[in-house]
Amino acid sequence: MDTKEIIDHLVALKVMRLTKPALISPKIVTCDFKDLPGNILNNFLKDDATSVVQMETLTAGQFLLLPQSFGNIYLGETFSCYVCVHNETSQPVQSVSIKADLQTSSQRIPLTTQQNQSPIMLDVDETLSDVIHHEVKDLGTHILVCEVTYMSNYNTLSSFRKFFKFEVMKPLDVKTKFYNAESDDVFVEAQVQNITSGPIILEQVSLESSQQFIVKSLNEDNNGLSVFGDVTLLQPQESCQYLYCLTPKENITKDIKLIAAAKNIGKLDIVWRSNLGEKGRLQTSQLQRMTPDYGDIRVTYENLPSKIPVDEPFNFKCKIVNASDRTLDLIIKLRSLQDSSLLWCGISNRKLGPLEPGNVAFVNLTAMPITSGLHNITGVSLVDLFLKRTYDYDDLASVYVY
Amino acid sequence: MDNKPSLSQYFGSNEVPPASQFFDEIGTSPTDMIQSVYLGDPDTRPQTTATGIFPQNMTTSFIQNKMPQEMTFTNVVPTVSGSTAIPAASLPDPSTFFDTIGPEPQIGSIKSGVTATSVLSDAMDGLSIKNQPIDKDADRRRDAWIPNEDAKKTLLKAQSSPKGSFFPEREVLTMPGIVLEEELADALQEVAVKYLGVSSAGIHGVVRAEHVSRDEAGLRELLRTGYLRSAINLTATLISAAGQGAGRMHRPTKHTPRSLQLWLTRFAVMCRIKLYEPLMKEAEPFGDFSKPDMFYQFYPDSYENRTGSLVPFSLRLLIAELPMHANKPEEAMDRLYAMLDVIEQMIANLNEGKIEDGTGTISIEDQNESLRLWTARQTRVLHSIVNCAIALKDYRLAGNVLSSLGAGAGAGAGAGAAQRRAVASALCRVALLAGHVRAAARHCDAARDLRHHLCPTPDVREYVDLGLIDIAHGKYQDAYNNFAKAADQEPTNIMVANNLSVCLLYMGRLKEAIAVLQKAIHSDPERGLNESLLINLCTLYELESSKTNEKKLNLLRMLCKHKSDTIPNVLECLKLT
Repeated sequence: MDTKEIIDHLVALKVMRLTKPALISPKIVTCDFKDLPGNILNNFLKDDATSVVQMETLTAGQFLLLPQSFGNIYLGETFSCYVCVHNETSQPVQSVSIKADLQTSSQRIPLTTQQNQSPIMLDVDETLSDVIHHEVKDLGTHILVCEVTYMSNYNTLSSFRKFFKFEVMKPLDVKTKFYNAESDDVFVEAQVQNITSGPIILEQVSLESSQQFIVKSLNEDNNGLSVFGDVTLLQPQESCQYLYCLTPKENITKDIKLIAAAKNIGKLDIVWRSNLGEKGRLQTSQLQRMTPDYGDIRVTYENLPSKIPVDEPFNFKCKIVNASDRTLDLIIKLRSLQDSSLLWCGISNRKLGPLEPGNVAFVNLTAMPITSGLHNITGVSLVDLFLKRTYDYDDLASVYVY
Repeated sequence: MDNKPSLSQYFGSNEVPPASQFFDEIGTSPTDMIQSVYLGDPDTRPQTTATGIFPQNMTTSFIQNKMPQEMTFTNVVPTVSGSTAIPAASLPDPSTFFDTIGPEPQIGSIKSGVTATSVLSDAMDGLSIKNQPIDKDADRRRDAWIPNEDAKKTLLKAQSSPKGSFFPEREVLTMPGIVLEEELADALQEVAVKYLGVSSAGIHGVVRAEHVSRDEAGLRELLRTGYLRSAINLTATLISAAGQGAGRMHRPTKHTPRSLQLWLTRFAVMCRIKLYEPLMKEAEPFGDFSKPDMFYQFYPDSYENRTGSLVPFSLRLLIAELPMHANKPEEAMDRLYAMLDVIEQMIANLNEGKIEDGTGTISIEDQNESLRLWTARQTRVLHSIVNCAIALKDYRLAGNVLSSLGAGAGAGAGAGAAQRRAVASALCRVALLAGHVRAAARHCDAARDLRHHLCPTPDVREYVDLGLIDIAHGKYQDAYNNFAKAADQEPTNIMVANNLSVCLLYMGRLKEAIAVLQKAIHSDPERGLNESLLINLCTLYELESSKTNEKKLNLLRMLCKHKSDTIPNVLECLKLT
């Protein structure tokens, strides 16, 4: 990012972006000693300062090479650069100081330099230098503005500025999906895609839940090992899918209105690394789910066995929640449909009594399967006596009959 | 082992072994000798010297005057073989390459034998010259390769046809020719003349290139002294003499082990100085060396019962890797895996008690020896696959292949532990390349545990790996401290000095960073004037000041003094414009 200096000034300013250095190795050309070049080329390789002793034929070297280009920079990474002011004259230059700002499309950020900012004297061939770090929090065009001030030969303060422009790009694409389970748990799928130009390692992907939920990561097995195996390395365009289960806190599960209002899920916090450990970190904005529309009445089954022997009656609970704003007067009907494999046992057309808004009624149900297979629980309906409306519940759950 | 054989070893040998010494095949076919005849011809010598290093017209005069002689078997003087003769004692152990550069051989440790190592090892791979001019088993082992189905058919035809009645189709022939026709000038010399003027550039390089003999010995001398571009020019001369020069592409030609050795040398040097474009073009007619004329069986008249490929293993590997340097690493990967497949087939045959191509039975001793050779070659190919994966940034594959190499290194202390340790250390760095710092730390721990088998205290490699992990974490002061500990152990280690310098820059200490590199160069110019180190130093110079020219020219002067023509691009390296 250097630009040619037109020598009018007594000092020169140079800036170099400090991305991580690279590991370099020699050009590996080997021969069998019986070949015409004998061991000559092998000895070149062995004598090369960049080769690793006893691993000369591998390119995983130990020799660090300084960055040779500006490279790409992504949101969430740290922009580091070396700023150097050099006295180009044959006499000392007084009162030299550097000031650096970063101009984005929306703001101008003064960059803190590590050394003190009071002007100093630069002796012949001396330099004033500093390493600047800044975590990039905006996308798009950034301009690094470096201003050098010094005392000119005419004892007046002279200054010049240099501009270094770079684009900050988006590193990751995060797609989320929400599943609202019957149990009021919310499952969150987060698909993290690498849209940088090189491979990255996802060092940490975590969901920080909002106040209403307790989060459980489903990306580790019982021993705490990642389900993705040893390496969560993403090549460009590859994605990795993370799954989280969020359970509403107890005070919320009690109130159907609060559950319906619990839209804020939380934030994803992602830390990644690329070339030689170059680190980036992003946090998404608050993730919001679509809450389920329960209508007037919400019916769920509880304590339902998943496997039932054929011809044996089984019990479960039907949970009925009044999600409306008025008191409901309900009748529960149980019909064994024609082609149904379940026969209901017990009383149909039972009256449930008045149900206040937000209140819950539990009804114990018994049914008997008559054929084996996977069967939907069908034939349950509720009748709202006030509106004279019937709600059918035919596909809320299934049971496996053997 | 003597790594730097002196000239006298090439020229001064009294004990002239048979002509078959270096290329034992040469002696068997008079056509093979032709080239050396006119190369050594006293008539052409003075003419050459008079007109410059390798004057353009030399090659032409060659062709005009001497080509007609190609088919007349006169003047057969074995100058090539004579001057390339290497006394048996100077020949390294057959396992040298893999002992010193590649992994330790795993099978059939020759050191456990009762017989003295040197005697046994000399007998390996056809190296014993004194008692046994040609070791057929060693030749077979070294040259073994399984032809593909198409080639097999042609080879069968060649073998079964009555003498002189086999006329192969054009399609089955490999028809190479030289593409890079112009003489390459000494690149360092050229830059030096341009920037420093004729007087300071020195002319010893020219003298050297001109005074070597125009044969394999001269070629080796040019290589050894680092006149790589002159060496390429000389290969062109020798290859042209073998009838595969400029304009010979797509024309039928006769291949010999010697011609392929010349191509190997040419390609290897071109690769080293990154002349990829002409290299790809010249390599193209060879394909993947699967044409039948690349096998001894194609020439029953010349080689009788000899089997295997004329193509040296290193040439095969070099060409397989080649697309990697031309931004086609996927293609290189395919070729390398194809090579690996054949090698695994041969190892499977050996394990079944057959010879490499599966056609006959093998003695136990022979089997062990061949398994040792081919598992080492297999490892070498796997290393290339890892390198290719790293070039593709496919760190998963690189890690997996490396892990399998570590697992295959054998249990116990000693060589196995050293090998597993080296692999763990490499895995650490592959993880770092990917940015996987936690895995890197894990591999580094594993390497440390294995190191305990070898030495009780951390060595340079361990300190450097630790320093690299610190760099990944952005802890440059910690990294510096680790590199400094490594420097305490090996104060002259150029790599360690370089890494210290890089750390200093990231710590904001540019002046010190420059001083460290300059000191490293001055303390050991031979190794310190390394391409990558020069790039680092010139990067620092440019960051420091806009007046860098004099400093760069000083480096150029040092290069002229201490180095020859080995750097692919001097201008790029010194950032001279």
